Amino acid sequence: MVTQHIPMASTAASEPTVDWDALAARARAVRRTKAVVLYAFLIAVSVPIILPYFWLVTIAFSAKTGVAETAVLWRSMAVFVPAVVAFWLTAALAQSRRQLWIGIAAVAAIAVFAFVLSVGPDLHLGNFIFLWEPDFASVVRSRVGEIKGAVQFPNVWHAFGNSILIAGAQTAIVVTVASLAAYYLSRFQFPGRSSMLRSLLVLHAFPVLTLIVPMFLMLYWIGLLDTLYGVILVLVAFELPFAIFIMKGFFDAVPWDIEMSALTDGASRRQAFVSVVLPQVRNGILAIAVFTFIRGWEEYIFVFTFLIRNSNWTMSLYMYWVRDDVMGVDYGVVSAVGVFYLVPSLILYMAAQRYLMQMSIGGVKG
Amino acid sequence: MAKIEFRNVVKRFGAVEVIPDMNLVIEDGEFVALLGPSGCGKSTSLFMLAGIYLPSGGELLFDGHIVNEVEARDRNVGIVFQSYALYPHMSVRDNILFPLRFKKTPRDEALAKVKAAADLVRVAELLDRRPSELSGGQQQRVALARALVKEPQLLLLDEPLSNLDASLRLSMRTEIKSLHAQLGVTTVLVTHDQIEATTMADRIICMRAGRIEQVGTPDDLYLRPSSLFVAGFIGSPPINLIAGEAEAGTVTVDGARFLVEGASGALTVGLRPEHLRIGDTGFAGRIAQIEPMGREILYVVETGMGAVRVLEQGSSAGYSTGEQVKIGFLPENSLVFETARQKLIAGAHVRAPA
Repeated sequence: MVTQHIPMASTAASEPTVDWDALAARARAVRRTKAVVLYAFLIAVSVPIILPYFWLVTIAFSAKTGVAETAVLWRSMAVFVPAVVAFWLTAALAQSRRQLWIGIAAVAAIAVFAFVLSVGPDLHLGNFIFLWEPDFASVVRSRVGEIKGAVQFPNVWHAFGNSILIAGAQTAIVVTVASLAAYYLSRFQFPGRSSMLRSLLVLHAFPVLTLIVPMFLMLYWIGLLDTLYGVILVLVAFELPFAIFIMKGFFDAVPWDIEMSALTDGASRRQAFVSVVLPQVRNGILAIAVFTFIRGWEEYIFVFTFLIRNSNWTMSLYMYWVRDDVMGVDYGVVSAVGVFYLVPSLILYMAAQRYLMQMSIGGVKG
Repeated sequence: MAKIEFRNVVKRFGAVEVIPDMNLVIEDGEFVALLGPSGCGKSTSLFMLAGIYLPSGGELLFDGHIVNEVEARDRNVGIVFQSYALYPHMSVRDNILFPLRFKKTPRDEALAKVKAAADLVRVAELLDRRPSELSGGQQQRVALARALVKEPQLLLLDEPLSNLDASLRLSMRTEIKSLHAQLGVTTVLVTHDQIEATTMADRIICMRAGRIEQVGTPDDLYLRPSSLFVAGFIGSPPINLIAGEAEAGTVTVDGARFLVEGASGALTVGLRPEHLRIGDTGFAGRIAQIEPMGREILYVVETGMGAVRVLEQGSSAGYSTGEQVKIGFLPENSLVFETARQKLIAGAHVRAPA
């Protein structure tokens, strides 16, 4: 190697000196500012979403019959708002991931402590009376000396069971039918295949409410009006197109090779489908199962229209009637029912979050 | 073990005729290669053998029995795909066990067979892993074990080495060949790589656009290619093809003349780079480029009839770029083709100009 000795001094003199430290400091400042602005934006857009849930839970655990006081709410806000600001500052100022976690943990601990101190004495489970007292409406009304005119509520667990039944049956049918239909659409050539695929999307684009009157008449004539089966069938029909479309994307992503390999390994087409292809689309099945279940769980319009007897009430109808009956008297009970209604979908979402994230990936491929 | 026969087999996809008329016999225990460029129908033929595609016409025979309509699962054929096609959700053990599930093999016996197959391709220590945790070469071996565990009467290999890196490809080539020697199972290899075909197969079926161009041993295809296509496809670096017009025993091409025996009319002369020698006699040219290949050196020589590739033995270049040289060859190494029909003229040779 021949080393060339360049006279350093003269070069440096002819060019402007570069202050690397200043450049690095400027880059750091820019990065910091961006983070601060970004967090501020995210907090600004998420507050309107989180705040109602925060209030719902706070009210459910603190409101008292016949007392329309908002002091607890304001006190909880006095903890909540500084906590959010503290989180924001922590995220903006933290120098490392470690500092960030320590800061968040500290803020969370202080916030919980402050919350217990300021709101704690007012927390109680009394608003969840509907869980063990079917005739809670009369009890609640009697507290304010007004007994007449209470709706006869079914047991909340009965409504809960109905909701589970509707959402569960709908999910089972949609998953089964969508998997088979999507597999066929993905793997086989047949006349009308492409128009069928197109119509799947068109079907999904229709506002389903426009069909509510004809559906009502049809259910009436075939004798399924005011039955859970009728509602299940209607929900399945409306959920299927999109589920099939999503599943087709997942099946399209399964390579032909492993299927052909299974066939030459001695499997029949059905065995190959069950033991080799289906396991590859497991995430898709979980995703459409979760979405369909939550869709059935939150269903309100169809059950409100097609179900009449109170023994057929679902959680959404139960919630509606509770609101109708005791809202003026006790909004704590209404909130408590809301929290109770919310918990299963929350648990399901959290458990399945991992698979739901993958759905967009699989779906795009379709 | 089985003897395979194609009798006037036709395969159409809709209006497209992929294989117009295929006739071929593969002897029991033979290792043949279906060689050809992409889209020549070699994979289609393989999938017909596997029972995945139904022939559109003709007969496909295993040991003299027509199997056209026999389902894939009843054919007892092992297949290794280019992508290996391992079942991603199963462990290696379950992958190899999979074919035995449908044969109703008792559990103990099946596990013993899995162990034996895994030992055969040296993946015994990987049995509990998932395919995603294996390297390409290991996946390849597992795919082989899965194909072999059911003791197939026919083993099909669809571009089995094309996803491996160069050095692994070399060792897998040797391994597959020795496995075949050990087990004696009739094997059909589909490849577009002529080296794979010539190194592994007993016989090569060279295909082009759905038709068989030539069937023969690797030597046949190399020394006596029946057509320009085969001559161009076999051999690396590729053969020099020089088109010219023959009259009164002399082929005239741009800038050179060859003396020709046994042919006339429009001819194409084929000269393999390894048969050409740079020396004192022959046609003149100027060395344009030198490509050392380790043991050999490839010279690209600019001549009056275009660039000619010359492969010289030895590791150091005896000539330098820009040097004027003469290229000679032995007449018996030259090939002469009829330009119009693209067929070899047997016995015809050319002689270099003095």
